Amino acid sequence: MNLAAIWEFIAGDSRRAPLAVALALIVAVALLHSGAPSGVVAMTFPAIIALGLGAAVFESR
Amino acid sequence: MNGWTLAGTSFLASAVEAVEALTIVLAVGVTRSWPVALRGAAFALLVLALIVVLFGPLLRLVPIDQLKLVVGIVLTLFGLSWLRKAILRFAGRKALKNEQAAFDREVSALRAAHEAQADQIGLITSFKGVLIEGLEVAIIVVTFGAASTAALGWSAAGAAAAVLLVVVLGLALKQPASRVPENAMKFVVGIMLTSFGTFWTGEGLGIAWWGDDLSLLLLAAFYLAVSTALVAAARVRGGVPA
Repeated sequence: MNLAAIWEFIAGDSRRAPLAVALALIVAVALLHSGAPSGVVAMTFPAIIALGLGAAVFESR
Repeated sequence: MNGWTLAGTSFLASAVEAVEALTIVLAVGVTRSWPVALRGAAFALLVLALIVVLFGPLLRLVPIDQLKLVVGIVLTLFGLSWLRKAILRFAGRKALKNEQAAFDREVSALRAAHEAQADQIGLITSFKGVLIEGLEVAIIVVTFGAASTAALGWSAAGAAAAVLLVVVLGLALKQPASRVPENAMKFVVGIMLTSFGTFWTGEGLGIAWWGDDLSLLLLAAFYLAVSTALVAAARVRGGVPA
């Protein structure tokens, strides 16, 4: 089974979008552990994903 | 989670993929024979149904928070992939899908096949087409249905309704559904998948969303606004098509 093919099947051909999702996860976990208000995390998390989408749209591949 | 929202998203996602699969089945049907085309499609649908029936209930054995996290991440990645393509197509930086051209390509390839093997090739083409186009939908249905048996029922019903509708239309028209607004549907599905994915990942992480399920609407509105802005920005920027 080709892991790269499975990965491309799930994440498509963008590299930036998955990176943004990973970054959003790390930041959200860090914020939650530091005791930040849930509302702040709830806004930060989708904002990073949206930035990732923007970066992916302008990704040249 | 609202069953109609799950069913609606699953319906749209399935309809888009079913239109693409239909093009391949029609090409086999027109070039070779309808029994061959329909047999291949039926085998593939059986495999897809087995995936949903086997993996749907299996996922519910995983603890709910971990499950939401994993399912949420998968849906977000799927959603971003659909959305990125739809944005690039709306912005004119990626060619729009042309079902008539895809149909013509399949027909030429099938006509070029050696007569002795033509039926076998037709069967495999139909099977592979439906399986590959349907696999993404099967994963969406399974992940949507991970929450409960009812959720699995809603998402599977949405997918089944879409497949049925597209099959009936396809067999009636006997030509590729080139007038279906595929990209607009992909755009909407991309927004819904990304919203569901973000919501479930957040819940898995322990984020308390404002208004619980109402946050889904806010997330969808947010991603719609961002995506619309990105279409405009990508149009202005232009450049080399992706």
